[in-house]
Amino acid sequence: MGPYHPALEEPYKLDLICEGETVTDAKLHIGFNFRGIEHLAETRNYIQVIALMERVCGICSNIHTLTLCQAMEQLTNQTPPPRAQYIRVVVAELERLHSHVLWAGIAAKLMGFKTMFMTCFEIREKVMDVLQAISGNRVNYSMNRIGGVNRDIDDPLAVLAMIEQLEREMVRTVIPIFTTSSTARSRCAGIGVLTNQKAVSCGIVGPTARASGLPQDLRRAAPYAAYSEMEFDVPVQHDGDVRARLLVRALEIMESCKILRQALTKMPSGDINTGEAKIVFSTGTATSRVEAPRGEVMYSVSWKENSRNPSRVHVRTPTFANMPGVRWMVMGARLADTPLIQASIDPCYSCTDR
Amino acid sequence: MNAVSTIPEQSLLEAIPEKLGVSEPWAQKGGVYWLASDTLNIRDLASVMNASHARFITITAYQMPGDQGLRLEYHWDLDGKVLGFSFPLAANSFESIYDLCEAVDWIEREIHEGFAVDFTGRDYEPLLLRQGDTPGVNLRKPASALSGQEEVKK
Repeated sequence: MGPYHPALEEPYKLDLICEGETVTDAKLHIGFNFRGIEHLAETRNYIQVIALMERVCGICSNIHTLTLCQAMEQLTNQTPPPRAQYIRVVVAELERLHSHVLWAGIAAKLMGFKTMFMTCFEIREKVMDVLQAISGNRVNYSMNRIGGVNRDIDDPLAVLAMIEQLEREMVRTVIPIFTTSSTARSRCAGIGVLTNQKAVSCGIVGPTARASGLPQDLRRAAPYAAYSEMEFDVPVQHDGDVRARLLVRALEIMESCKILRQALTKMPSGDINTGEAKIVFSTGTATSRVEAPRGEVMYSVSWKENSRNPSRVHVRTPTFANMPGVRWMVMGARLADTPLIQASIDPCYSCTDR
Repeated sequence: MNAVSTIPEQSLLEAIPEKLGVSEPWAQKGGVYWLASDTLNIRDLASVMNASHARFITITAYQMPGDQGLRLEYHWDLDGKVLGFSFPLAANSFESIYDLCEAVDWIEREIHEGFAVDFTGRDYEPLLLRQGDTPGVNLRKPASALSGQEEVKK
């Protein structure tokens, strides 16, 4: 299957070994979208590298700049002001909504649920409208900088009204269908199971891990930005199948709305960045982690004093950690279920290949 | 829904150096708890991490200046804390921990392909990275490009 196949509009290849219609083993091949971004990063200065890393992924672009900027802030000894931390939470959660609703649409399409696909993409457009209202952009928001954010949210309550409208639509359409519909249940329950034990041994992260009973979420375990001031639950399911991944993401959509409501109503006044005109790096390596929509992203950034360019930027993306688990999910599955199973981890090959 | 544990048991963290036979304490820097020792063995470390229920995150390869070779940094998560362990590579080979920690498979393969490091004791499948058919061509710089560079210390 692949590298170009109807399940996703991104390249990767699954070599499937079958007995009749049953998959007995699989080998995964990635790297068809390799762009050498880590190498390119060493040729960019501290402003250019933010723009470059924003393009690692077309869905969670903000998460990459957030993680990079947090690492660079450690090396420049800067702490973003409280308002900037709240704005970072707002944009990160909007991006999670955008990513989860996009995934829900693709999952619906793979289930043969085309009407739901159109509904999800309509909602996704509205999430992008909110992001555009905040940042002026719909894909690469250019929000993060060293020491804070580039743009303020002038009227948080107006954004809150848009979020509440979105939440009402999702509660009316997406959430009930994915949580209670017999079509979704019959298509997803019991397929593509990743056991808790296998999820632990493979180092699986994000919603895929939480659907296999692992209650890990960096927003809770290692809070960054203003997450320590937010109240939210971490949805966990224990079945490890496609339906569990569906449920976890549906519940996370509701939790994101809860976080957005808190961040927008409690947003403190003040500066949105440190305003440092001259950025001075100290020699060393800094590591930063963020809970992206697909799971943990980690950046290791090395710098030499007086250098404008990083010495090394290493990116560990969630799909890179989750993809090897697909082999165990498809073993024993029906061939016809493999597109939905591999899509159930919400893979991003652009991130994975870098 | 389940609650998520937030703070690791301090004793678990403190017990790790002792289990590894390291006298130095953890040093917190750059968002990571580092344990530095010349006597650390990667396979012993992987076993202790497994016993501590730490989650493997990744390995980062750094190319050192001149002919100093490479440095590998291994990272594990212990209940929200990032643990870091650094290993200089005199030669281009290092012991694999794939048999002890399944999660290292792809990153060992990526470093093998990107930096031409041979992780011994494991088999390699075909290339993960499609660009370039020879290990070391994607991320490794020629020695001439590294001359005059100073080492970046963690």
